[in-house]
Amino acid sequence: MKVFIDPPNSLILFDLVERSGHEPLSTMAEIQEKIEKVELDMPPMNVSVEDVMKGLKYAGIEVPSGVRGRLAIWGPMIEAAEAAIIMEDCPYSFGCVGCHRTTLMVRYLLKKKNIPVLYVDYPNDEDQAKDLVVMMREFLEGLK
Amino acid sequence: MIKIAQLSCGTEYSSVQYEIEKAARSVGATIVHPDVSAADIDKAVERFGFKPQSPQLRLMIARAVQLADRKYDADAIFIATCFRCAEGALVRNELRRFVQDNTRLPVVTYSFTERMKAAQLLTRMEALVTIVTRKELLARERQSGITAGIDSGSSTTKAVIMINNKIAGKDWTPSGDVIKSAELVMENALNEAGVKLKDIEAIGTTGYGRYRLGKHYNAKLVQEELTTNSKGAVWLADRQRGEATILDIGGMDNKAITVRDGVPDNFTMGGICAGASGRFLEMVSKRLKIEVTELGALADKGNWRNAKMNSYCSVFGIQDLVTTLGDGKTFEDVAAAACHSVAEQVYEQQLQEIDVRHPIIQVGGTSLISGLVAAVGEILGSKPIVPANSQYIGAVGGAILSSGFLEGL
Amino acid sequence: MSAERETRIILISPASNITPDQLVRTIHTMGKNVTVKESCYGCVLEGKQDIVRGIINELRELDPNGIFTKVRAFHAGDPRRCRAHHGTRPGFAQLEQEWGDLWKIQRGLERADNGEKASKREIQEKLSVEKFKKICEVRQ
Repeated sequence: MKVFIDPPNSLILFDLVERSGHEPLSTMAEIQEKIEKVELDMPPMNVSVEDVMKGLKYAGIEVPSGVRGRLAIWGPMIEAAEAAIIMEDCPYSFGCVGCHRTTLMVRYLLKKKNIPVLYVDYPNDEDQAKDLVVMMREFLEGLK
Repeated sequence: MIKIAQLSCGTEYSSVQYEIEKAARSVGATIVHPDVSAADIDKAVERFGFKPQSPQLRLMIARAVQLADRKYDADAIFIATCFRCAEGALVRNELRRFVQDNTRLPVVTYSFTERMKAAQLLTRMEALVTIVTRKELLARERQSGITAGIDSGSSTTKAVIMINNKIAGKDWTPSGDVIKSAELVMENALNEAGVKLKDIEAIGTTGYGRYRLGKHYNAKLVQEELTTNSKGAVWLADRQRGEATILDIGGMDNKAITVRDGVPDNFTMGGICAGASGRFLEMVSKRLKIEVTELGALADKGNWRNAKMNSYCSVFGIQDLVTTLGDGKTFEDVAAAACHSVAEQVYEQQLQEIDVRHPIIQVGGTSLISGLVAAVGEILGSKPIVPANSQYIGAVGGAILSSGFLEGL
Repeated sequence: MSAERETRIILISPASNITPDQLVRTIHTMGKNVTVKESCYGCVLEGKQDIVRGIINELRELDPNGIFTKVRAFHAGDPRRCRAHHGTRPGFAQLEQEWGDLWKIQRGLERADNGEKASKREIQEKLSVEKFKKICEVRQ
């Protein structure tokens, strides 16, 4: 199954989903497609004005361009998702997603989609990490 | 290569990162991102004291702290966040204050939409680079020899001939064809000064048409208007030392520049709204069927509080003023309301981006509209200085700075 | 993702005994047509998707719970993301943090393998106004 992960660039979530035999939907894969479009030369990520306009599907023109540009990437991923794992209370430095408002919108869109969603906490210690692994395994097993 | 440190949120997802880098490249600079580690971010946010929810804004703060602590080496700072993001705007502005309190690096801030192109940033980037690379030239306080400055603006074209630190000739005309307008004002200014074009030892061009004129006249200095205006303003107002804010409400964009000893250290340029520009006053004058030169004196006699404006917009706001006249209010009140509206817009849209330092030197063609100067003074709490020849600042700055090249600077 | 190119960041848990050098040498000895760049935390691996995934499966056998991986959007050494040219990019701090915490995940995986269950999460409720009032009253 295609599993949306949030933060969508998390190494821990990507790895644990992939270990379970599911397909993690990640920002990295989306960006890869963008940057390989040789007909566009908009480094670093080849996000064009047209992409930002595509974000209007998810948020109106009064919403900042950075939010719409991000939603233009994650919106289609959410549409493709069959399940999702959301990690809450991530440390400060997370992540290249960058925009808190976009994160709120992404979680709302996932909620509205009515797919199985697992909420986990960022592990602060070994016990919580064990809980994270066990909960993810159970959730991902249940999807098969 | 001049290194401009970028502190930003949202640029990569708004299709503007490439434009920022393009603008920097075109003025011989490169964009750099101060190195930070995960641990730096938490510490920096704690120290800064403002804790935004968005991680990218936290990263911005950490990068600023690296610059403040001299752990990362850069020559100038560019701070940008998405237009309409409240969290971003708060961080952008407070971070700008923070780096100015903690470094001597020139800073420019910008809030962008996905439509922003490199051309919009060019003047800002050019000014940043000039402040870094031409410190000695900018420190120049006197004009020497026989030099000319031409300011090819969006509304008017101005020329000034200076001889041994004095204005010897000057002229202006509404801007038409860039070259023809410049040739006309140059000829008149030369006649007034009693010199010929071949006698001119150096020419400095500025304003929107600076590149074309620079080529046409083989100018020694082709410089954006933020730098030339600063120099011209402090020279005209005799405020070469100490701090000041230069305010130029122009026809197409407004500039607010803070200077320290005649050298700009922060500036803001606005150009999104006609309601916050000289154009608004021109349109009001046309609608009132008076000359724009008469508007200021009328406004001086009126009270803006008597003429209600529900909008700052150059379309709807002017309609309000016309309706007010229909209600029997006076031309004077309407003129005062128009001046107040522009001053308030400039204050709200632009002056928030810099720390206004007194005295305020108001310059440019609109500084001749006394009602507007009075309105700016009322809003900022002290009446701006309007030096003689205040509309010639760009040209004067061009003439002064270009004379620096005569001494091999 | 294209089958033509897959770039992977491979990270070794700080609690693992494997070194980046060992990791890279293991990949080299496989003799596959891939690009490998050693990093402080592991390596970056790039090649055709099926080959890269095959290598990852083999690498995991070195230390099943101590080696982690995710896809990387940019090519190995892509100047658009080069730290030497641009300084650290936004995702770097996150990756650094996640790498630092991989030892917890490693232990978590081991304990899950041993059949441990998730503990019930206790949600600490905030003190009710009534209780707080009582405390205040006692103090008085």
